[in-house]
Amino acid sequence: MVALDRVHKWYGRVHALRGVSFELHPGQVAGLLGPNGAGKSTTIRILTGMIPPDAGHASIRAHDTLNQSLDARAKLGYLPESAPLYPEMRVADYLAFRARIYALDRSRRRPAIDRAIERCWLRDVRNRRIGHLSKGYRQRVGLAAAILHDPEVLILDEPTNGLDPTQIAQMRTLVRELGSDRTMLISSHILPEIEQICSRILIVASGELKADGTPAELIAQHGGPSRLIVEARCTPEKAGLILGLPQQSPCLTELSEGWTRIESPCAPHEPDPRERVASAFASAGTPVRELRLTTATVEDVFLALAHGREGTP
Amino acid sequence: MSVIAAIAGREFRSFFRLPVGWIVIALFLLLTGAVFATAILAPGQPATLRPFFAIAGWLLLPVVPAISMRLFSDEIRTGTIEPLLTSPIRDGSLVLGKFLGATLFLLAMFLPTLAYPITLWSLSDPAPDLGPILAGYFSLALLGMLNLAIGTLASACTSSQTLSFLVALFVMLGMLLIPSFPAHSLPIPAQRALEFVSLTPRMSDFARGVIDTRHIAWFVALTGWLLVLSTLALQSRRWR
Repeated sequence: MVALDRVHKWYGRVHALRGVSFELHPGQVAGLLGPNGAGKSTTIRILTGMIPPDAGHASIRAHDTLNQSLDARAKLGYLPESAPLYPEMRVADYLAFRARIYALDRSRRRPAIDRAIERCWLRDVRNRRIGHLSKGYRQRVGLAAAILHDPEVLILDEPTNGLDPTQIAQMRTLVRELGSDRTMLISSHILPEIEQICSRILIVASGELKADGTPAELIAQHGGPSRLIVEARCTPEKAGLILGLPQQSPCLTELSEGWTRIESPCAPHEPDPRERVASAFASAGTPVRELRLTTATVEDVFLALAHGREGTP
Repeated sequence: MSVIAAIAGREFRSFFRLPVGWIVIALFLLLTGAVFATAILAPGQPATLRPFFAIAGWLLLPVVPAISMRLFSDEIRTGTIEPLLTSPIRDGSLVLGKFLGATLFLLAMFLPTLAYPITLWSLSDPAPDLGPILAGYFSLALLGMLNLAIGTLASACTSSQTLSFLVALFVMLGMLLIPSFPAHSLPIPAQRALEFVSLTPRMSDFARGVIDTRHIAWFVALTGWLLVLSTLALQSRRWR
């Protein structure tokens, strides 16, 4: 449906994309994550036909974005970052203009505009000038324009950038609704948003695709082991004895007032150790004030891959 | 074709939704009105618009770049070009649509000046000759379109409206100033080239009521080439 095959892009001497490849299947909603300057915008600009790749191929529904650009663009709806619009136009006039740009014939134009206005909750502002609308509404007008021709593929570049929390929540609901019946690629650097909306996450950094998978797969592959954290009222030696750890283990830290903190990595696929540990301390008559298992989040994975930090929780 | 009409229609209407369109019209009518009142509407003068059409190039000088500078520079600066360049439309259609929209606005701007020949008809006896007036308006439209094409190219090359305005203004000024250039000191081919791009002899012919197809072909061909170059300039943005 959407494919990038070993795509390279240079801006002068800067190698902005270094052989990025991925494929989105019909109905998939994927998030493109990356820090600023990672190559997100370049990836999107290549997919939308704004710029050509210097090497490799990009395609939308098997139409090459360079050689069959018009066919590829006809299948695509695109919301650029910060939704650039004509402030002097009224919402309905702008959507009518975009419907004509997408070559919708006269009979299909009106229903398409009404449908887009309904889906993007724009009924109250359909006759207002775009320049008088709030940023949240303008973003929705941009989105309505992108779905007018009912595209099979929708690409959104930072759809919630600059919105307030209420507008972000509305936009997120809207995007989730739109993703129910089409392939979507959403670029963002807001991790919780991507985690909530997308079933698949692509992480780019330094022009390379660093990770690709479901949130659970990314955490399993790149998140490092889970960690068991316990704080018990006993000496480190006794805690080590109860848990079967060596006496000088770096997992044991003595705290003030007779407490000891234990931070122990758990092997992948090991069953949840909390019940066993709680029983062990209870049998030894040792009070416990904290017992938890931490797992990596997508944010930990993102930081680890994008900035080279250690991916431990 | 419908796409070109949609782009032209939006462009045309946007001039009337923004102050710039009305200011341009007011400025043009002020200039032409001053010429009409001082050079044409004088007692004892022959009833002709010849002085008006003879300086038409100078009258368009400040207004056409103000129309053309918005065409692409503003869209590049604000990012509204992005939804257009990612829509299923050819770059050539985009250029042609915008050029036609601006041309329609220019023609709309000429409409109120029809008051001048109507005034002449009502005041002068004998009535003015219709031929030179029609030829004059025809030449004004051709000249306006050529100047708009120069402005379209300048606008497609930069995101700065100021730069686009200045480049169009100086190119138009250069074409008008060619007759004042001491061409006799140049080699013969350079003299011929200057003669070829000079507007003045062509505009003088039109002002006399002479419609020469060579002149029409010259205006149309040059306008067409400038639009092709504008399309290439727009396409080159994709490769930068």
